[in-house]
Parts: sequence; C-alpha cells; structure tokens
Amino acid sequence: MFEIQFASLGEFFSMGNYAFNVWSVYALFALFFVINIYFPLVRRKQILKEQKRRLLLNAEAEESRTGSS
Amino acid sequence: MWTWFHQLGSPKWFYELTGRWLPWLVAAMSLLLLVGIVWALLFVPPDYQQGNTIRIMYIHVPFASISLAFFPLMAIAGTVTLVWKIKLADMIAKTAAPLGAWFTALALASGSIWGSDIWGTWWIWDGRLTSMLLQLFLLIGVISLRSALEDTDAAAKACAVLSIVGCINVFVIKYSVDWWNTLHQPASPITTSGEGPNGPEIWVPLVIMIFAIYLFFAVALILSTRNEILQRERRAQWVQDLVRTA
Amino acid sequence: MKPQRKKRLGIILFIAAGLSVAVGLTLFALSQNIDLFYTPTQVAQGEVNPGQRIRIGGMVKEGSVLSAQDSLRVEFAATDYAHDVPIHYEGILPDLFREGQGVVVEGSINSAGVFQASRVLAKHDENYMSPEVKAALDASGASSANHQLQPES
Repeated sequence: MFEIQFASLGEFFSMGNYAFNVWSVYALFALFFVINIYFPLVRRKQILKEQKRRLLLNAEAEESRTGSS
Repeated sequence: MWTWFHQLGSPKWFYELTGRWLPWLVAAMSLLLLVGIVWALLFVPPDYQQGNTIRIMYIHVPFASISLAFFPLMAIAGTVTLVWKIKLADMIAKTAAPLGAWFTALALASGSIWGSDIWGTWWIWDGRLTSMLLQLFLLIGVISLRSALEDTDAAAKACAVLSIVGCINVFVIKYSVDWWNTLHQPASPITTSGEGPNGPEIWVPLVIMIFAIYLFFAVALILSTRNEILQRERRAQWVQDLVRTA
Repeated sequence: MKPQRKKRLGIILFIAAGLSVAVGLTLFALSQNIDLFYTPTQVAQGEVNPGQRIRIGGMVKEGSVLSAQDSLRVEFAATDYAHDVPIHYEGILPDLFREGQGVVVEGSINSAGVFQASRVLAKHDENYMSPEVKAALDASGASSANHQLQPES
C-alpha cells in the first residue's frame, strides 16, 4: 500500500504516456486553488483600503464643516 | 425564543467566529491536501485498465461530489432568507454561486481530460455529463440574476427561488447513471477487506482528498463571505472600527 | 406603479418565463428516451430500423476482434451476453478498447444486419484495481467478465 509506483523521476513525469492528461488536471487544480484562495485575500485588502479612505474623507469633511462655522 | 437564531445569523458574530476558525481550517486543509496529493500521485497503484489516469480520479471525484452540495446549500440559505430575512444567509448564498460554478467547471474539465484518451472522446451528451453542464448554466443564471437586479432584497428573493428550483437537477445528476444508459460509469462500491476491486489502497487516499477539498470549499466560502460582510455592513460601527485599525 | 418597480417586475417575469421554458424542456426530455445507446438485445428485438443513426452499447465479445494488417479496419461483436451485434469500423480506437470491456459505437445497421460504426467509444466500469489484484482475482476465479450491460429482465 505504501510503495512508490515509479522507478525513476522520468517515469513519474511521463505517467505511462498519460503525462498530458494527469498533469493538466493537477495544473488546473493548482490554478483553481490559487484563484479561489488568493483573489479573496487581495479583494479583502482592496475593500479595507477603500473603506479606510472613505472614512478619512468623511472625517475631513466633518472637520472642515465644524471648523468654518 | 428565536433570539439565539438571529444572533447566530448576525454578520458580526459570523465574522468573529470564522476569524478564530480560519487558521485551524487552513492548517487542516493544507495537511490533508499535502498527504492526499502525494499519496494520489506516488502511492496509488496504476489501474489494470486505465494505468496512471486513475490519478485524475483524486481531483475529479472530490470536485464532482462537492459540486452537488451547492444547490442544496443555496436553497437552505435561500429559505432562511425568505422566511427569517437573515442577512447572513443571503451573503453566504451570494458567495456560494460563483464558487459552485468554479467547482462544477473543474469537475467537467477534469472529466473531459480524463475521457479524451480513455473513452476516446472529450464530450458526449449522455445523462450525467449533460445534467452536470445544466448545473453550470443554472449557476451562471443565478449569478447573472443577482447582478441584473440592483435592489439587494429583490435579488436575494429571486436567487433564493431559483436555487430552490435548481435542486431538482441535483437528483437528476446523482441518479442519471442509474436511470439511463450513459457512457459515464456508475458510482464505485468500495471494498473494505480482502483482495478485490476498489480496495483500501484506492479509496483511502480518495477519502482524504474529499475531506481536503471539503475544507478548501469551507475556507474559500468563508473568505468570500467575510469580504461580503465588510462591504454590506460598512456602515456598522464594528466594521468602521475594524477598518480604522486595519 | 413606479418605473423602478415596473422594471424589476419585468426582469422577474422574464426570468420566471425562461425558467419555466427550461423546466418544461427538461421534463419533455425526461419523458423521451434519453438513454445514450441501445443494447444488442433491443437490436435483436427489432427496435432499430436499418439506416437509422444510433448508438449501441455492449461488451466487446471475447475472441471476436479481427483487425486488418494493412489498414485501420477492425471487426468485432458487441454483446450483452444475450445477443450479439457484428460491428465494422475503420479508424482509431480509444485506449481502453479491448476484449471483455465495455464499448459504445455510433453508426447505423445496414440491410445485412452489420453495424457500420463511424465512432467507437470505450465504456469503463466502476471497478478500479491494480494489475496484481486483478491477477489474484482471476487466479481465484472470483471475477468473470463484469455483467453491467446485461439486459433488464
């Protein structure tokens, strides 16, 4: 059950002539994984930055209003 | 009596709870993924007929089986939205739809690459493949329905109804291989003891991969739902406090 | 009614109409025969007309495969262990095509009762195992050819 099924690295990469099928599926999986974990994290940073800016703008507007009166 | 239920549905509560859970979920997911992928690629014996293409199963089957969970999940969230008007339920439903489309697309793509050499075709309009493609279109329908309706409440209600109706297709996908002649094979029965087809050397790593990808599903859903909470609750005091310290 | 609400109602009605059409078509399709293929027994019972483009599914009969030396022509019989259909094909066979394995062929039956296939697809069963396990099973005689394509009784 715990025996490595390939004699050499070359054999591992060639996957018994199914290199394209096996590796493209695992590559798709890797791509998919990155998209669905990485993008939400990037989006989160964007949202926080945007909302911080808006809060600062609001605070400034408030200050200038009270300052001028 | 229902206060606990509404408290459970508070976005703030969900945000804080998942904030505590995330590190553990990510750790468990990474560990299971690492073990599962190494096992699937190196230790699973090649199939007597299909050779090394059996390794595609360890991506295809988890994704295909979890894709079937999206419509029931969205239907439950939709029912909660319609009956109790809990905002959190609709946020989860909203983030689940694009994620479900990704899962369904990957199940279709991996199956297609698998079949291209083994079956001799990339695609065939049999019951299983066609109903799975229909699920992808239904999910795209839910996503576009939400973006077409500007009013958040109306969008939530319309998507909830479509999700509940879409559940019918899940049964069609599941039983398509039993109801009709298909090119796709039926589900494999597992063998727990002794020598036989589908023995533990084949299904144990598959179970690990299924758990790993379920955790991946949870992590991805939580990440997007937290973003949705930050956006929709941006006027709430706790979000503004959080933004200021970020 | 406010124009905003009118627009919203329009969108919902449009989607509801689209949805009912989709559900209707699905139900219509369900009531039709959506089987991918006919079995050799159905062919033997005369459910298929000569010249009609159909698919036939069965097992490649053991010992029936004859391939030409100089071309890609191949002849074999598809069986469901009750009836056989002779099949002629010229072209590339899928990797999983072998005797005793499932197969789905696309084409039509000629007047002589021979199925002229334009495409051959392999049908895999749900059993996965290593060559060692398969050899052990064969040695113990536990597994004969699998009978998943047997006609319904």
